[in-house]
Amino acid sequence: MSDVAIIGDIDTVTGFKLGGVKKGIIVNNDEEAKNALDELLNDEISIIIITQKIADNIREHINKRLGSDVLPMVIEIPDKSGSSEGGADQMAALIKRVIGVEMVK
Amino acid sequence: MAEEILDGINPTRMELLALKDREKLAVKGHSLLKQKRDALIKEFFDILDRVKGARENAETNLSEAYEALTEAQITMGDLAVQKAALSVKESVKVDISSRSIMGVSVPIADMEMESRTIVDRGYGFSDTSIQLDEAAKKFETALKYIIELGEIEKTIYLLVDEIEATKRRVNSLEHIMIPRFQATIKSINMKLEEMERENFVRMKMIRSTIEKNEAEALAKAQLKAAQSE
Repeated sequence: MSDVAIIGDIDTVTGFKLGGVKKGIIVNNDEEAKNALDELLNDEISIIIITQKIADNIREHINKRLGSDVLPMVIEIPDKSGSSEGGADQMAALIKRVIGVEMVK
Repeated sequence: MAEEILDGINPTRMELLALKDREKLAVKGHSLLKQKRDALIKEFFDILDRVKGARENAETNLSEAYEALTEAQITMGDLAVQKAALSVKESVKVDISSRSIMGVSVPIADMEMESRTIVDRGYGFSDTSIQLDEAAKKFETALKYIIELGEIEKTIYLLVDEIEATKRRVNSLEHIMIPRFQATIKSINMKLEEMERENFVRMKMIRSTIEKNEAEALAKAQLKAAQSE
């Protein structure tokens, strides 16, 4: 059995705690976010949900810590203010890298 | 670009045979890797259709959940909502196993999520509102979709890595290794033929020298015989 954890601003964390995620870390700046991520990775949490804004700010740190292992999954979600369209862009870039042509469906 | 040949190969028949084997292996590997690449790309496209729907699903569910949360915060106040959130019991059990797509292990998240009634959630009723119940329910649903999305996205990232690695190998075999083998085999063949021709000429020369010597010896012997008579 694996655990789910959430890193985000106070509203996001409150919401997900209501939804039944036991581990939530409220972060206010990049440094805290990095520490939170490290802590969760050390605890071997297998699903980490993180808001897109925070993830964008600490992108390098995430990539450095994650590598290409199967676990943990880091899932980026929009926060309360809505989607930043980052997810779709990333996908399009990936497809371009793999196939070599732009294919936006 | 001039065709490069492998370094440190002597132009001998042994090396030629070994090289031919290596080329055969490279060609075989190349076609296998190509098949692997095609299979991976097919798999990638299949999953791409899923990710589109999954992300939209997760995001709409989540934004509904945020709205419900805001409503709850308006009716109850931020602190009361946070207090209630603290006492909510864990709702989701995820079992992550992995399966293999063409040798890439990708995660499968097996979720156990019982649909809960208000009583199961674990916060008190006296100081909570119906909006809070609604928000909690919506977050539970959103969480389910988010975990699904995570599984698919992770799969895609892993597949992409593998596709890139495979592509690189296919290209390196196709454009560098195999031409290099062929060029080396060709050059060894040419050298061997050249050596053969050289040998042939040398034999001819030696033969003609020998014949000449023999003819001279014969002539001398005949001369001697004639003188002694």
